[in-house]
Amino acid sequence: MQDIILKLEHITKIYPNGTVANKDINIELKKGEIHSIVGENGAGKSTLMKVIFAIEKQTTGKIYYKGKEVNFSNSMDAIANGIGMVHQHFMLIPSFTVAENIVLGAEPKKGLFIDKKEAVRVTQELAKKYNFDIDVTQKVADLNVSAKQKVEILKTLYRNAEVIILDEPTAVLTPQETEQLFEQLLKFKELGHTIVFISHKLNEVKQISDRVSVIRLGESKGTYDAEGITIEKLTELIIGRKLETSYDEYRRPVENPKMILDVRHLSYKDSAGVPKVKDASFSIKGGEILGIAGVQGNGQEELIRAITGLIPFQEGTVKICGKETQTLTIMEKRNAGMSYIPEDRMIDGCAAEASNSDNLISTTYTKKPISGLVFLNNKVIKNRSQELIKRFAVKTNSEKEKVGALSGGNIQKVVVAREWSTNPELMIAEQPTRGIDVGSANAIHKELIEMRNQGKGILLVSADLNEVMALSDRLLVMDDGKVVAYFDSMKGVTESELGLYMLGVEHHSEEVIRGACYEE
Amino acid sequence: MDNILSSFFSASFLFIVIRVGVPLLYASMSAYVADISGIPNIAVEGIMIFGALFGVYISAISGSAWIGLLGVIVVGIVMGLVMAFFTMKMKASPIMIGIALNLFATDFSVWLLLIWTGTKGTTASLPSKVLPKWDIPVIKDIPFIGEVLSGHYFLTYVCIALAILIAILVYKTPFGLRMKACGLDEHAAESVGIKVNQVRLIAIIMSGILAALGGAYLSMGYMSIFSSNMTASRGWTGIAANAVGGGNFLIVVLTTFVFSIAQGVVNKLALTELPSDLVNIIPYVCVLLAMVMLSIQKMRKQKVK
Repeated sequence: MQDIILKLEHITKIYPNGTVANKDINIELKKGEIHSIVGENGAGKSTLMKVIFAIEKQTTGKIYYKGKEVNFSNSMDAIANGIGMVHQHFMLIPSFTVAENIVLGAEPKKGLFIDKKEAVRVTQELAKKYNFDIDVTQKVADLNVSAKQKVEILKTLYRNAEVIILDEPTAVLTPQETEQLFEQLLKFKELGHTIVFISHKLNEVKQISDRVSVIRLGESKGTYDAEGITIEKLTELIIGRKLETSYDEYRRPVENPKMILDVRHLSYKDSAGVPKVKDASFSIKGGEILGIAGVQGNGQEELIRAITGLIPFQEGTVKICGKETQTLTIMEKRNAGMSYIPEDRMIDGCAAEASNSDNLISTTYTKKPISGLVFLNNKVIKNRSQELIKRFAVKTNSEKEKVGALSGGNIQKVVVAREWSTNPELMIAEQPTRGIDVGSANAIHKELIEMRNQGKGILLVSADLNEVMALSDRLLVMDDGKVVAYFDSMKGVTESELGLYMLGVEHHSEEVIRGACYEE
Repeated sequence: MDNILSSFFSASFLFIVIRVGVPLLYASMSAYVADISGIPNIAVEGIMIFGALFGVYISAISGSAWIGLLGVIVVGIVMGLVMAFFTMKMKASPIMIGIALNLFATDFSVWLLLIWTGTKGTTASLPSKVLPKWDIPVIKDIPFIGEVLSGHYFLTYVCIALAILIAILVYKTPFGLRMKACGLDEHAAESVGIKVNQVRLIAIIMSGILAALGGAYLSMGYMSIFSSNMTASRGWTGIAANAVGGGNFLIVVLTTFVFSIAQGVVNKLALTELPSDLVNIIPYVCVLLAMVMLSIQKMRKQKVK
């Protein structure tokens, strides 16, 4: 009993609008452990953390901290008691220095004034103690994402946090930065801090944590030793059923496929004249998914933007359903049969402040029957939105809710639903499941396979190798702006083999790569 | 004409610059303290009108300029509380509230004027008091400097003292850091336990007091009466100066000084045969130029990014 630092007993949270976010949750945190909390987007992890941190008040249930029942009145109270939170969206002020951000709200004083020297000294010392390599006199605006996260962690340490809650900390980090973060987390553990690690990247969870608690649909599904549980078992607990890892059984052959996308000798140089895409050629017929694998930043993004018309390319041709598209506007390309799930759903994918239905019609609102001669047809919009929300199982209160209020996975579903709704011939899916939970990702994957079976052509770009390998019928690998490998079937292709091509260690001959194009 | 030009380099011209610059600085500071804490106060003009009117009226009925001044401060606090109530409690847009208060002040002040004096023009019939002028010992005997700095109104020296105090508050104290944090990212401020509404309430009350004092300066020193529309867009000029400063108090003060020089030039040229309507636009042209320069600078910054 002695070593339980925080205990949640029968926590239930019902929002005023009737949403039950947490239902009878029981979790115990041992002092000095790394405890992961996993669950789908919208399962209630964030609500639970808000309850611990007193941003939200639980409807019923008790919280015990260090053996005593506590009732924090606000987050200040929680902070004062040694609970720290690193939010997913950083709570930092860019124009302040690192030191200012860390001491804000609890500034060292000399008389009436802030002791700026002391602030720098204390924060620098703190950074040193925990092996953070950071210059505290720098402005936060000049830091990269990983360094900003370090500042957030230092903020909690400055306030003597014993329990540190990290809300999906690795979502924004590169693999190397994640490794670095994990080393630091282990160091905190050594020094006696208790870490709560929220994530849905299960391999990371398994790697770093001592114990794992699962939440599904607001209910706790038990706590397990990370050692003794497999990723498959965890996944099953999270989504409540077995997860398919291969979609082969869903694939159906398509007869007489037509040519959907034909890209020839496409080259793109950015405004500084740096070549980003070098002579890329490939084609896609109906009924197939062409995957593009590669380490991020090797020209995939530019290639997609060139095809969709977001950036003008200098050389080559792009034909969509036989139509030359270089001079077409994006709207005209969409009319020719193109659809596009962009990489960043918040920037290119949706208007966060607009409603679900506004977002769902945003590519079709000029067309009948959504638009009449002068006015929009609200009844049609409502019916169509509700249909799409239902079909794609978007978790939302109504079609009028703001998209920005949904969880990431559900926002992505809205984007996919919109792109699906125009019945396109060509679907360009760029990182279609990034940062969303396994259940939603699975649903989106099945939609893509279904479209393929109906004879559509799909171009898939993803940094997630498992995704590319599970979905693709054929596969290209890009490295340094060039197509370096082509596989006409995924049979027998292994992850490690792909890795060699992605890192530029090996490449296919020109002749093999030429196979990516169909002759007309 | 030569006479006019040479007079721009005299002590008496600098004296005028300070004289006309003080109400602008009050207005700039009022806009500044509210803006950096996240509630843009565009009601500066309206609050100045009330400050000017109530200063005159309260000093007239009490027979004391000092009680009048106290009344002015209360008016500033009340106006700040009104702003705070609507923007923070009722969650209205500060811009809409600002517009409403400005329109309200412009017309309501005329109505009060009519009730109190029977005319719509001025309070000339009220026995109002003015705040004293101060000769600063020692300094007043220094040639040139004494001529420029000594012999101003009481509220001029208060203004300078307040400017120094605001600089210290904003740049040296925990409260100042928190004000800026609230203005830059209220969620970040909240997440470290700063009571955002409390900080903003204090800031908006300070803003109200500063604007009201700016108004009182006009009617209880600069002139000895209140006349309708006597603020003549000084509040807006202050808001413009604050915008140019972009959160940097020193730049706000310097911009205000430039605007003051423009106003001083107007006062000088008004004595010449140049058409007065043309001369009067000089400060406003300055404000426009400053805003254009600000936009250009912003665009350049974005390009660099």
